[in-house]
Formats: sequence, structure tokens, C-alpha cells
Amino acid sequence: MSKKPTAGPALHKVIMVGSGGVGKSALTLQFMYDEFVEDYEPTKADSYRKKVVLDGEEVQIDILDTAGQEDYAAIRDNYFRSGEGFLCVFSITDDESFQATQEFREQILRVKNDESIPFLLVGNKCDLNDKRKVPLNECQQRAQQWTVPYVETSAKTRENVDKVFFDLMREIRSRKTEDSKATSGRAKDRCKKRRLKCTLL
Amino acid sequence: MAPQPVVTGLSPKEGPPGTRVIIRGEFLGTRMHDLIGLKICGSDCLLSAEWKSPNKIIARTGPAKGKGDIIVTTISGGVGTSTVQFRAYHETIGPLKESAVWIEESPSQNFAWGRRTLTQSGLTQEDPLGLSIEGNEQKIPEDLRDLFPDACGDLSQENFSPAWFMLENHLATSFEDLKAGLAYLKRKVESQKEGQLSFLKSNAGSVIDQLDTLMNIRDKLQEDVKLHGTEPLNVLEQSIENSIHESQKIFNDVLLRKEKADSTRSVLFALSRHKFLFCLPNTVDRRAKAGEYDIVVNDYSRAKNLFGKTELPIFRQVLEEVDQRILLIRRQLHEKVVKMPQSVEQQKKLIKALTSLELQQSGTAIGERLRNTDPAWDAIEARAKYLEATFRQTFEQYANKDVNTQDKSKSRDPNQPPNRVNFCEELCDIAASQLPDLWRLGQLYFTGELRGPHDPKPGDFKRMVLNAIDKFCIYLRLAILIAADQRALRQSSGLAWPIGSASATHQFLPWIPQCLRYTRIAYATLIGLDLPSEALDIIQKLIDEVRLFCFSIIFKRATDRCKKLGVHETWEMTVEDYPGATQLPAALEALLVETLDEVQTVCMQPEAREGNLLEPHSDGQREVTQRLQELLSAFSGVIAELAYPCHDDETPTHNVSQLLGFPNSQQPESVNAGAGSGAAIGWEQRMLCCLANYAYCNKSFLPHIGQLFVKYGYPLPTLAIESARYNVNQLFTNLLEEYVEHKGDPLVGTIEPSMYLGRFQWDHEMELGQGQLRPYAHECCDNLVGVYSEIYSISPSLLRPILESIVQTISEELARLMSCVQRFSYTGAIQAHVDIRLLRDSLENYANETAKNYFMEALEAINPPLNGEQKRKADEILERVKRQMRLQVLCFSVTEP
Repeated sequence: MSKKPTAGPALHKVIMVGSGGVGKSALTLQFMYDEFVEDYEPTKADSYRKKVVLDGEEVQIDILDTAGQEDYAAIRDNYFRSGEGFLCVFSITDDESFQATQEFREQILRVKNDESIPFLLVGNKCDLNDKRKVPLNECQQRAQQWTVPYVETSAKTRENVDKVFFDLMREIRSRKTEDSKATSGRAKDRCKKRRLKCTLL
Repeated sequence: MAPQPVVTGLSPKEGPPGTRVIIRGEFLGTRMHDLIGLKICGSDCLLSAEWKSPNKIIARTGPAKGKGDIIVTTISGGVGTSTVQFRAYHETIGPLKESAVWIEESPSQNFAWGRRTLTQSGLTQEDPLGLSIEGNEQKIPEDLRDLFPDACGDLSQENFSPAWFMLENHLATSFEDLKAGLAYLKRKVESQKEGQLSFLKSNAGSVIDQLDTLMNIRDKLQEDVKLHGTEPLNVLEQSIENSIHESQKIFNDVLLRKEKADSTRSVLFALSRHKFLFCLPNTVDRRAKAGEYDIVVNDYSRAKNLFGKTELPIFRQVLEEVDQRILLIRRQLHEKVVKMPQSVEQQKKLIKALTSLELQQSGTAIGERLRNTDPAWDAIEARAKYLEATFRQTFEQYANKDVNTQDKSKSRDPNQPPNRVNFCEELCDIAASQLPDLWRLGQLYFTGELRGPHDPKPGDFKRMVLNAIDKFCIYLRLAILIAADQRALRQSSGLAWPIGSASATHQFLPWIPQCLRYTRIAYATLIGLDLPSEALDIIQKLIDEVRLFCFSIIFKRATDRCKKLGVHETWEMTVEDYPGATQLPAALEALLVETLDEVQTVCMQPEAREGNLLEPHSDGQREVTQRLQELLSAFSGVIAELAYPCHDDETPTHNVSQLLGFPNSQQPESVNAGAGSGAAIGWEQRMLCCLANYAYCNKSFLPHIGQLFVKYGYPLPTLAIESARYNVNQLFTNLLEEYVEHKGDPLVGTIEPSMYLGRFQWDHEMELGQGQLRPYAHECCDNLVGVYSEIYSISPSLLRPILESIVQTISEELARLMSCVQRFSYTGAIQAHVDIRLLRDSLENYANETAKNYFMEALEAINPPLNGEQKRKADEILERVKRQMRLQVLCFSVTEP
């Protein structure tokens, strides 16, 4: 019986990013409702929120499932701003989607202006390993380069679905405790830095 | 019961009304019919809801706006909650948005409503680049209008300038973002080009409608062509031209008629004005005659306004005539203003009219002919003069009447108020009615309501009022204060009330309180006027004088009555604590109380704005003292009169004891009865009563009177009381002497004849026998007892003063007699010794030092002095005699009754 989320347990805001058709909504729905959706319907922007138990502590997870289509690239900025952690999804059967993760990463870093934002590189559709187009070592190399974890998942088999969400939440949680220790002056500083950049342009 | 429904997922989470939303969650109903409610952002969407599973419902959003919860209600779980929120927004159509229906984009549409929306659709318009404009607060400093004079940043305008738009909206956007935006724009345009077919498909209904409409229009047009030829526009244009022409004509016509009406009106107006002017002289006269000066003032000022500056000779002429008439009216008015009597209101009206007429006429040639006056001031003066004249007239009228009536008949009805009283009443009436009028007029004048062209003279006015009040007071004084010294008054005022006969004056006195009342009524009226205290003080002084006069009159009357108190003396000794005193003092007290009551009600009680008459060292107190003193001395006089009323016919010789041993007191009674004087009481008793009264007065009654005055609020009249006491004491002493003389002289005078009665000689031997007194001593003793009893029966307290002096004379006489005897025989000496000693011993209580010395002298005068045997014998005899005369001796031994 949950009432308003604000008064309840800690809230972690997760944003699903990635090219169209890589399975962001499938991962979300699998995580939320243990349901695998076969038919493809492009997402605009979906919102999910539920209570989960993270390491024995009850928390709330808020998932913003965004549109992968290029059409909505411009409005992503707004969404990204509210995110606390990102699952950057690509399909291991689609090289283009892997290449696009670079752009997403950059956009996120630009918006958040934070190199160490909780971030997971997720290679989906690992059940279709026979149709693999992106070599595993390439994926791991990129994750290493970004210093982020890399996880391969399958929305269909539910392999590693819970893991990616929980791992991300843990990162967000540890990040938050770190932040609360840090002075508020740092946040302001960051803000200023970004401003300067804008004016330069 | 199943748990509450909870919505945890929304796809999508925002959209315009009608968006298809997949709602995910838990316990969203066990089957289709379990779902009985669905609200998205407050709008009911149950109709469109499609139940898929307990975890999923598909629905379309309703016409809501803003962010809101998704509330699912089921039979099994009740009203639910949601963890996610839907944002509903209304889409606006921009130039980059495709739409299947025609939309009015021009903002000019709003002009129809008389006001333009503050912001054009720009705020709700989506950015064509798909970039958010958040964080773009930074504005370009220069005015964009200077940079692009002929352009604007509004997408919907024809002179849209992209550069303007970019500077305005994306000054802070990064180049990368701009590139992404450009790509977005390109894609959008491309998709619109490519997607036309799909667009048509999705909006097929609208497109077919539009086609139908176009077909209809074509059909109608063809029909029209058939009816009106191929050029319907020409016909239309022609008729429009015609109607324009026609309306122009009508408009001009209306204008023409309006001009005509205006000119007619102005002519009529001028006509009426001229009529007004030419009729004015007569109108003015008529109105003035009717007394409607307001209208005259109005008409005149109107004429002045209308034609005052005219140069036309005819108008000037008429105006001059009007001026003449007004001049006349002004004269009349001035006469009327100063004419008395009339009411203040009337006067006020006239003054106002006159002042405004003068004001309007001043400055003109004709106006200068009559000097500007100050009508209000004139009115005040006239009123004051009239008031004074009325005073004088009334005075003379009554004074003359008084002379006449005195001549005519002395026997007037005493109940008829004398002329002086009538005069007082009328004078007070006049003062109470006219002085307020005068004062009010003055107030109006000085407060500015009636102010004329000259400066007001408050000093003069004040003097006038004071003078009037002064006059009023003088006349009243002349009439009322007849007893006062009027010579000074007569000299100062040159007036005098005819001096009437004593009886008339006497008749007038009781009416003075009435006069005081009239004066007080007038005074109260004047107090209500808020007059300066200086003026009121004059009247107050008069009133105080009259009050005092009243007081003295009442007291004088009381004194007169007091003088007659003696008639009512009943000789009843009613005073308990002072035997011998009669009811006379009580009668005086009753009289005094009555008088004080009257005085209190008539004049002593101060009314509004009156002083206390009894200030220390004031005339009032002096008067009180004097009057009381008079009253009390009159009272003592009354007692004195009562004490000696019958001295002429009752010679004291009658009362001298002729028969030895008879009590004297019985003698005069029979004499009085024989004389038939009617008094039930002898003169000695009266004298004693009076003495007792005096003593009573001195001791307690006069202080009691003093207390009575204090009770009535007067200061203790010590001076009057003391002088009265002194007076009473004096009278007491005199009376006492008189009494003693009348009583003691015969008593003492009988001693010598009685001693030598029957050729008795002291040198002869005599029989001592059993031993008794000589008859003379016996007689003396008996006489004394008689006096004693008389006094005792009236007032024992008088015993001492009276007896003492009698005893003194007796002892003196004895001493004289003894010293005259040349030689005593043996027995004679003893006898004399016994006689004297008995008298001495028995009268010891009433013997003062002188008496004792005389007794001693008498004893020593016995020659030769007694030897031892003689003495013993004498003592023996004395003892025996004392026993025999026990009763007499006892009588004297009672010291204080």
C-alpha cells in the first residue's frame, strides 16, 4: 500500500537510453512486470515507478523509458536533466546501435556535466548470440574506456535484467551519500563551469 | 477484498487530450467488469478504458490539463492510487505542424474582441528546431529592431527573419545542439514531404468533407452563373457603389437639418435673452414690490452676466435703467433692513439680498452713486438702537402709569401686581427675546455669513451688547432696588422711577422675589447664547444684588413679625431643660426656620451661573450678620417690652409688703385681677420669665440659632450671635437690677420700722423668755422666703443672682442699724446677737463676701460686747430658735434646686 512517493522511501531515478528497437521498453517491462512484449511499438516517453527491496532496504525506483527514435533527440535534454542514473542500451545484433551509444554518452555527460554519473553499458538481446554483430571485447573495451560496468542482458530470458537495475541503483545510492557529504559549493561550481562554456559558444 | 489498485506505469507519460495510454500496475481489476472507475488527471476515462489484464489497461485521456494522478477504481479493491503521473497538455498549431482542418492562425482575429492577447502563440509554440529553450534566459543586449528594421522573430509573420529568431531564442544554445536541431528540422520537413500519403490516410474523413464542400461550391457557382451571368462581381460592385452614394446623400441631409435646428435654437435663445433684458426693469420692480429679493438678485446677476460687457447702445440703455431701478431697490432695502421690529431671519434675507446687489453694482458708474454700505452692521446698529429705545419706552410707559395710578387711587387690589413688577416682566421679556436676536445677528455678521465690504468691528459690537445689557440692568435696578441708594444711578443714567408713596413701596416689596424670577429667566436665556462672560457678569451682579435685596427684605419682614411675637406670649414655661423660659424663643426659632426656608428658595440657592452670596467678607455675609443682629435685637427688645409692660399702672409701692408675714407673691395677683389687665400672671413672674428667657438665650438658644444658620449652609454668624448675647446680657443685668430693686428695697425698708415698732429700745432690758426672734428678724425672714418661693416657682436658676443681692442689702442695713444703736442692755445685746446670727446662718448660702463682712460688722457693733454668760445664753436661745424656725432655715439651705 504505497502512498505518495515523496513521503516514502528513497527514490532513485533511472533513465533508459539507447537507439530505437534495442529493447529498452522490453527490459523495463520485464523488470517491472515480468512480462515480455513481442510486438514492437515505438515509445515516446513512458514512466514507471515501483517499490523494490535493495540490499534489505526498501527504496523506490522511477524508470523513465525514453524514445530511441531520432525524432525526439531534441527533447532528450529535458529528460536527461532529471535522471540520476542511466542504462545505456544497445543490441548486440545491431552495430549501429552500439555506435550510437557514443552519442548518448556524450549527450548525457554534456547535460549532467559529470564524468562519474552512475551509468551502465547494457548489451541486450544476448539470447540471440548467434546473430551477434558487436564483438564482446569491443563492448568491454568501450566500457573500460568510459570506466563504466558492462553487462549483457536478455529481456526475453530475463537474464541479468534485475542485475542491471539493482547495480545501477546501488551506484546511485552510493553516489547520493557521497554527494550529501560534499559541500553544496561544489555543485554550484559545476553549474558555473557549464555556464561559462555556454557563453563561450 | 483484493488489495487497492495501484498504477505504476504509464506509456506515454504525457500527451494532448485523446492520447492512447497504456496503464500498467497491480490489482487493476480481476476482469473487465471489475473495473468501475478510471480517472486521468481528474477527467473520467472509463468509457475509453480497455481492460487487458490485472496489470494493464489501455485508455484514452480526457480533456484535462496539467499533471495528475491516474486513479483506478475496482469493485474488488476500491479506489486506488498511482505512483506515476500523467501530464496533459494542449497542442497548438504552428506553421510547422500539419493539420487536416483549417485553423485560423492570424492573430488579427482577436481584434474583434477589442483586445489582443498579451503573448502571441509564441509561448505555447514549439520550437521549430525541437530544442528546449530552457536556460536561454540570456538576451541579446541590442534592440533587435535596430538590427533588422523590416523583420520580426514571429514565425507566423511574413517578414519572419531566421537570424532574429536565432538571436532571440538560441543565443545560448551550443553549436552542436543547433546542428542537432537543424537535423531535426530537416527530418521533420522530409517526413512531411514523404508522409503526405499517410497524413491523407489518417485524415481521410476531413479530406473527403473538404472535397464535398468544394464540389458544392462549384455547383452553386455554376447555378449562379446561370442566373446572373458570368460576371456577378460587376453587379455586386455596382450595387455597392450605389449604396455608398445613397448613404452619403442621407448623411449630408441629416447634417444639414441638424445645422438648421442649431441655428433656430440659438436664435430662440437670443430672443429669450433679449426679452428677459427688456422686461427686466419692470420685472425687477414687480419682484421688489412683492418682496422676492432673491429673484431680483438672481435676475440682476443674470443680466449682468449676459449683457454686462455689451457695447450695443440699446442694451446699455436698458441696463442703465435696470441699474437705476436696482439703486432704488437698494435704498428701499436699506430702509427695510434698519426698520424695526422684524425677525432676524427676515433681516438676514434682506441683508443678503442687499449685499449681493451692492456687490454686483459696485464698479459701475451708477453703482458708485450710492455709497456701499455695510447692511449687516447697520442692521445690528438699528437693532441695538431699537432695543435701547424699547427699554426706554417701556420704562417711561410704566413709570408714567405708576404716577397716574398713584394719583388716582390709593386702594389698589393688593393681588394685582404693581407696575414695577409688570415693568420687570416686560423688560425681561424684551431682553430675553431681543438680545438673542441681536447677538445672533452679530454672530452671523462676524462669522462671515453676512459680512459686508467693510471690516467687521468686533469691539464696537461687544460694546453695543454690553451697553444694551448695562441699560437693561440699570432699568431693572431702578425698578427693583428701591431701597438702594439710587442717587448715583439716577446721576449716571439720568433716569428715575417716580418716587411713590410709602404704601406703594410697601406693596411692592413682596413682589421682589417675582421680579428676581423674571430676571433669572431672562438671564438663563442669555446664558444659553454663549455671550461673553463680561456681559453676563453685569447681569449676574444685578441678580446678586437683587438676591441680597430679597434676602434683606425677607429678613426685615421677619424682624417685623418678630416684633409682634410679644403679643402671642402665653407665659407657658415649656422649655424643659431651662425652667422659667417660655415658648417665646421657640416661636422665634420657628419664625427663623420659616424665614430661612423662604430665603433659601427665593434667593439664596444659587442658580445657573450665579455666585455664592456668602463669600467671606462679602456684602452678602455682612448683610446676613446685620439682618440677624437686627432680628435678634428686636427679639431682645420684645422680651424687654414684655418685662415692663405695665409699669405705669402697677406701681411697685403696691407690692411692698404692708402686712408682715404675708407672702408677697399673692399680693400682686389680686391687684392684677382687680386691675383687669387680663394677664393671668403677675408682673414679678413676667419679669422672672423674661429673666429666665434672657438667661436661656444667652446660654443655649443663641448658639442654637447659630447652628441653625450653619445647617442652612451659612457661615456661623458669630459676630451677630456674640453681639446679641452681649445685648441680652446687658438687658438681663438691667432687668435683674430692676427686679432686685423692686423686691429688695421694700424688704429692707421694713426692717428699721419693724425693729423699733412699739417703742422698742435696744438699751431696755427685755424678756428673753423661751427665746425667740425679734419680730423684725422674723418678718425679714418671712419676706425672704416669700421672694424665694416666687423665684423658685418660676426659675430656680435665678435664685442665686437675685437673692445674693437682696441678702447683701439686708446685711448692709443690719450693720447700719446696729451701728446706730448707742447702747445695748444686757438682754438686748443677747437678743440682737441671736437675731443677727440667725439671719447670718440661715442665709449663709446666699451671702457673698460683702454680705458676710456686713454681718460681721453688725455683730461687732453690739456695744458693749457680749461676755461669756451672755454668749452662752445667746447660743442656747439660737439653738432653740433654729429649731423653731426649722422650716424657714431649711428653705434657704437648699443650695441648688
